[in-house]
Amino acid sequence: MVRNAYTVGQINAYIKNMFTQDYMLSRIYVKGEVSNCKYHTSGHIYFSLKDESGTIACVMFAGQRGGLAFRMSNGQQVVVFGSVNIYERSGTYQLYAREIRLDGEGVLFERFQALKRELEEMGMFSEEYKKPVPKFARRVGVVTAPTGAAVRDIMNIARRRNPYVQLILYPAQVQGEGAKESIVRGIERLSREDIDVMIVGRGGGSIEDLWAFNEEEVARAIFNCPVPVISAVGHETDTTIADFVADKRVPTPSAAAELAVFDYRQTQERCRQYRQRLGSLLERNVQFTRMRLKGYETKLGYLHPGNKLKENRMRLAELEDRLRGRMKEKIRTSRQRLEIYIERINGLSPLKKLNQGYAYVQDESGHALKSIRQAEEGKKLCVHVTDGVIYARTEQVKEEHYGEADAGGII
Amino acid sequence: MAKQTLEELFEGLESVIGTMEQPEVSLEESFQLYHRGMELLKSCNDRLDKIEKKMLVLDDEGEMHEFEE
Repeated sequence: MVRNAYTVGQINAYIKNMFTQDYMLSRIYVKGEVSNCKYHTSGHIYFSLKDESGTIACVMFAGQRGGLAFRMSNGQQVVVFGSVNIYERSGTYQLYAREIRLDGEGVLFERFQALKRELEEMGMFSEEYKKPVPKFARRVGVVTAPTGAAVRDIMNIARRRNPYVQLILYPAQVQGEGAKESIVRGIERLSREDIDVMIVGRGGGSIEDLWAFNEEEVARAIFNCPVPVISAVGHETDTTIADFVADKRVPTPSAAAELAVFDYRQTQERCRQYRQRLGSLLERNVQFTRMRLKGYETKLGYLHPGNKLKENRMRLAELEDRLRGRMKEKIRTSRQRLEIYIERINGLSPLKKLNQGYAYVQDESGHALKSIRQAEEGKKLCVHVTDGVIYARTEQVKEEHYGEADAGGII
Repeated sequence: MAKQTLEELFEGLESVIGTMEQPEVSLEESFQLYHRGMELLKSCNDRLDKIEKKMLVLDDEGEMHEFEE
């Protein structure tokens, strides 16, 4: 018998494991009345839940305090969401709370979770069904209460951003009996008007006040709406089914107006910038083209036949000049040579010799007299001197010898 | 052709300007693009309604009337 005994630690660990593996105990809602509630300085909250039949120990750790939105006190009816597990140190089980809601609210919360799960599984929250919100809507539908902060906020922001956008309100009943039908009717009616986008929402309130926006009919009306829907329910922290199913979710009605109504001045400024850009781009191209034109003009100037003609004419004139020059030169040198010849011929002229006292003698028949044998006595002779001819007759001849020199006809 | 939205017109303008920014665009094309841009701007201007609107209320009979605060 002793051999079969387990240690306390072993049995507690075994039981803890059993609890941990139990699917239901790991995510469970438990409702009851709060008792023995203690807020510990560490931030943990220790309390019990009880009903007529019994009690269960509960703890909410400081790290889970986000799941508690009110101050808990003894006697409150609450719904606690969390897991049941073993506390090994004392061998007791307890409920580890993750969220605590006041009952009533608790029931609604459960319904909310269930519907959310269902619609999510049907794909109604899926991104692929979300229509983009137009950037420049001209007509904006609004489904909200005709009184209260929401409609006033939307109107004010729309007027400030762009007073030329048409707002069309469907005055819906947003809470209480008949609210969901009223909201659905508003969405359907407005979607038949010529609008570009629709805001569906209301200001903040309790979970009961916001409840119409958690109804399946409203969710379906939003989902089926052919116009993009912006949901704007409550304050920053409130999330409804409508928010999940809408094409766009914003935290407040004001934010919805900011999104749906485009800023007029900004848009005008954008147009002005486009106009300027277009102008300067055209101007740039004109300048550029003008520059190219100038370039072509210059180039064409070089290539003009007139230029070629001028060039040829200049070449011609130059050639003519050279030709003339050469010709002048030629004439000049020829004339010089002629003068030289004249000079030389003058030098060689017999008349020059006659000048110096020599004479040229011919016989009767005009032959140059070179020998005494040609001039027998009585023979007629012609003696040429510089200024005329002397006709003479030979008186006498006498032979003489002068070496080999020969006067050649000159006396 | 259905009337273009401002968004489409702006897209058109972006594309016209984008093309004009290309260096190889001829002067003729440039003029055409400029002309097109100006037409788009005019359409933008036409689309930018300048009549101030009062909020309308749609009632259950499908009638519209002015909203009274």
